[in-house]
Amino acid sequence: MKDTQLLTQAVVDMEEDKALALTRQLLESKTDPVAIFNAYQDAMAEVGKRFEKGIYFIPELVMSGDMMNSAMEIIKPYLNESDTRDTGKKTGRILIATVEGDIHDIGKNIVSTLMALNGFEVRDMGVDVPIDRIISEAKEFGAQIIGLSGLLTLAFDPMKNVVERLEQEGIRDTVKVIIGGGQMDDQICRYVGADAFVTDAVAGISLCKNWLNGSI
Amino acid sequence: MIIIGEKINGTRKAVGKAIQDRDAGFIRHLAEEQVKAGSTYIDINAGTPPGREPDDMVWLLDSVQAACDLPVCLDSANPAALKACLEIVDKRPLINSVSGEKSRMEGVLPLALEHKTNLIILALDDIAGIPETSSGRMEIVRRLVSLALDGGLTQDQLFIDPLVTAIATGTGNAIITFETIREIKAAFPMVHITSGLSNISFGMPLRKIINRTFLSMCVAAGMDSAIANPGDKDLMGAVLAAEMLMGKDRYCMNFNKAYRAGMIGA
Repeated sequence: MKDTQLLTQAVVDMEEDKALALTRQLLESKTDPVAIFNAYQDAMAEVGKRFEKGIYFIPELVMSGDMMNSAMEIIKPYLNESDTRDTGKKTGRILIATVEGDIHDIGKNIVSTLMALNGFEVRDMGVDVPIDRIISEAKEFGAQIIGLSGLLTLAFDPMKNVVERLEQEGIRDTVKVIIGGGQMDDQICRYVGADAFVTDAVAGISLCKNWLNGSI
Repeated sequence: MIIIGEKINGTRKAVGKAIQDRDAGFIRHLAEEQVKAGSTYIDINAGTPPGREPDDMVWLLDSVQAACDLPVCLDSANPAALKACLEIVDKRPLINSVSGEKSRMEGVLPLALEHKTNLIILALDDIAGIPETSSGRMEIVRRLVSLALDGGLTQDQLFIDPLVTAIATGTGNAIITFETIREIKAAFPMVHITSGLSNISFGMPLRKIINRTFLSMCVAAGMDSAIANPGDKDLMGAVLAAEMLMGKDRYCMNFNKAYRAGMIGA
């Protein structure tokens, strides 16, 4: 097995010390830092797959994200300018809030954590956030994605209102809107006028990554 | 242990449908089942949009009151729905809930004070959200308890929720809850302490084991109430055992009686 594959394996197996030791070793033996970075990306993808299969759970997602962040700190000094463009920069700006009238935040917090671990610049506005504040914060922050969370049916109308306000302000085309929560489905998504809905965090992250890769 | 039976909640699909169809038989069955299993309160939560919620909550309340003699826990942040229920409620209800959020302090708290209801107080507000330290949560609790006491409620009418966040995203999260419980009991010895439990195990396998171990540890810290499914025999067994081990069950009679009644154990 190639050394970078061993690294991927160590991350996937949640062997933190081994992964970081391998990372240092590879850097010292002049392995391309971008290849090392890619080994971590491959590991994250496999961890995500295992999560979807119910073999891994939220802690494995958090731990692999933390390993990746620690590794990035070690890799950074070895990267040159052009590499940094590919690996170092934040992948996108996402604003996250549980909408007005709803205080459920467990799912939202997990999405925030995982988004940040996946390199997104996250602004988490908390729960029961009024529409006005979401709109003004989205403008100020330059959000590329707005993630609206809610568990209760009474969250649907505020979500719809956010989309309508974006239209009124003429900025609907500059931002993607994704809604998340246990009850979300296609019908609610259309009612709200969102670009997509998700019911689990990992699906939301891969969707947002796809948007950014297609440059929104 | 004061059990607030959580099963009549419109965000559960079957219950949502029963509310839509006005299927009183379904609701009656859920109420009776929870009475039998040892509930102290029956929680009712319509989970419907604000416009519909007053009618739906009143209907739920009527259905539950027709089915059993237990007091209800009015689970809504909608002042119109609470008001409508308070006009027809038979026994002193528990309102779920007020927090440091402006809308709830202005909309829910005055109703609880006016009707002298029992009241659940959440340790969160608009500014801090859910504080990540017990002292942050205590600050909110102190503020809200003072308002409730000044408004004429007694300590034992108050149920403080120390709040629970997922252990999957922070391995210190349960400890924050335990510490908050201890600090609440030290500051206000006569208040009750309650909480939902399932948040603790979000994103984890074997959630039930985590939930009931957590509840036992909360009881050890001073919790005396839970928003839970009383039909979960393993959970109820853990609660009764924890209370007994904490010296709160004279001659172990609650535990043994529950065993003989088939309410706990296999």
